[in-house]
Amino acid sequence: MNHPDSQPIKLVPSQKAAETAEQEGSLYESRKKVYVRSISGVFANWRWILVWVTQLLFYGLPWLQWNGRQAVLFHLVERKFYIFGWVFWPQDVFFLAILLIISAYALFFFTAIAGRLWCGYACPQTVYTEIFLWIEEKIEGDRNKRMKLDKAPMSGRKFGLKAAKHTAWAVVALWTGFTFVAYFTPLKELLGSFVPFAFGSWEIFWILFYGAFTYFFAGIMREQVCKYMCPYARFQGVMFDPDTLIITYDEERGEPRGSRKKGVDPASVGKGDCIDCSLCVQVCPTGIDIRKGLQYECIGCAACIDACDEVMDKMNYPRGLIRYSTENALKKHWGRKEIVGHVMRPRTLIYGGILALVCMAFVWGLATREPLRVDVIRDRATLSREVAGGLIENVYQLQIMNMTEAPRSFEVSVSGLDGIRIADFGGQVEVPSASMHALTLQVRVPVDTGEPGSSNVIHFDIKAKDDTSVAVHEASTFLLPR
Amino acid sequence: MKQILVLWPSFLVAGIAEMVFFTVVDPQQLFLFGKPVDFSPIATYSIGFFGFWLVCAASSLLTVFFQRPGEDINRAGRAGN
Repeated sequence: MNHPDSQPIKLVPSQKAAETAEQEGSLYESRKKVYVRSISGVFANWRWILVWVTQLLFYGLPWLQWNGRQAVLFHLVERKFYIFGWVFWPQDVFFLAILLIISAYALFFFTAIAGRLWCGYACPQTVYTEIFLWIEEKIEGDRNKRMKLDKAPMSGRKFGLKAAKHTAWAVVALWTGFTFVAYFTPLKELLGSFVPFAFGSWEIFWILFYGAFTYFFAGIMREQVCKYMCPYARFQGVMFDPDTLIITYDEERGEPRGSRKKGVDPASVGKGDCIDCSLCVQVCPTGIDIRKGLQYECIGCAACIDACDEVMDKMNYPRGLIRYSTENALKKHWGRKEIVGHVMRPRTLIYGGILALVCMAFVWGLATREPLRVDVIRDRATLSREVAGGLIENVYQLQIMNMTEAPRSFEVSVSGLDGIRIADFGGQVEVPSASMHALTLQVRVPVDTGEPGSSNVIHFDIKAKDDTSVAVHEASTFLLPR
Repeated sequence: MKQILVLWPSFLVAGIAEMVFFTVVDPQQLFLFGKPVDFSPIATYSIGFFGFWLVCAASSLLTVFFQRPGEDINRAGRAGN
């Protein structure tokens, strides 16, 4: 899962990190292109694992079938969200809200413990940039070749390489757009439109729209999305404290930096462990120099750790000149044990506690979700009227929602007044799977019932025939004329 | 940069507004100039999204416009004389 052909690292001493220095303070338009050098190592492997997991899920889920329908489908036309065995209705917006709260607290929790884990490994921006960079490297070559190619005047070869790269990007982007739309319009319908190319105009539009987004964000904008457009990048700092794991350069150990021959003991030449090879800068997707300390641009991808560890191995120095550590650990020379010991602290306990509570509420809510929902709406147009046979009639509309994936019949009855009954109704109603049935009922009582001009509470009872525990007892009012 | 400042925050907020609005309101129950909306639901959602985006972008545009410090305006005025 590494870049298989990534070059062995050449130690280029004293290649200054001037290129990054120039970038800082530059405006968005005049940014210098960051040429990211590919890197392999423990953290790069983790990132590739997450690229595979998230993208297999994203590209794969729309193809999955469940109960003869698409397993995960946010069906906008039907206004129903299908997620495996569940069917969610607009009335279930509560669950969506809870899910958003869970996501937010999970983000707080993990940020407080280990910094920008999300940004470094799982954010779509990171994942697609990784994929697009991989394509770029496969077609245009490694970092040096890419820089040379961009400087070179336009030629047949340059044009060919650029065209190939952009075509490959466009294919990935369009497929991403297609997959995205397949979450909202059934994939089968989309596939059916593929051959005659008879997509609805809005489907085409959204495929292109999302595709273009992917293309520009992952191919062109890259680190600028994180630096200028991401709200999380701006406020993540408030979740940090001195015990948060961050990617740090051990200044005490590294400085004074400088070049030296391989295998030289740093102390003997009056230098620190940093050989100033600037590889940590070259591999950085946001183009910063981690040796200047924690910066808000750092997305926590740990590429510099992988790069530096490789260099330290070559120099026969211990690994970890750049490593995951905390502000406190660096200051107080803590080892792994003390760092782990400080994971539990009021901030993480509060975030974690709230997260656990909300998760439990979510699971409890899902487990106890009623498979039947009924809305009773009194017909307001006709309050009450006298009908043939000496009866008073009120009209109600019942919306019976069968939330399960099997058709069900329900018994409907009414109670609350003497002699109350439903006219012209067989007493039961069939509701297809995962759908709503609107039922108009004329409810009648004999003229001499109750006090004239009064408003009386009545109850509708709706019970599933196959399972009496699935029942709803819904109140409404019955008006009697003066 | 200014374009990003106008278009991007409004895009984010429009996304949220779209979600909240259409969770609560069924596009089939909307009325347009007194007549029920007869577009397809996908079209209604899409138009809704761009409507929200437009409104939010207008607000962002004003924010960017008013953010211009007084000195800038004074200087521009002098330059024009």
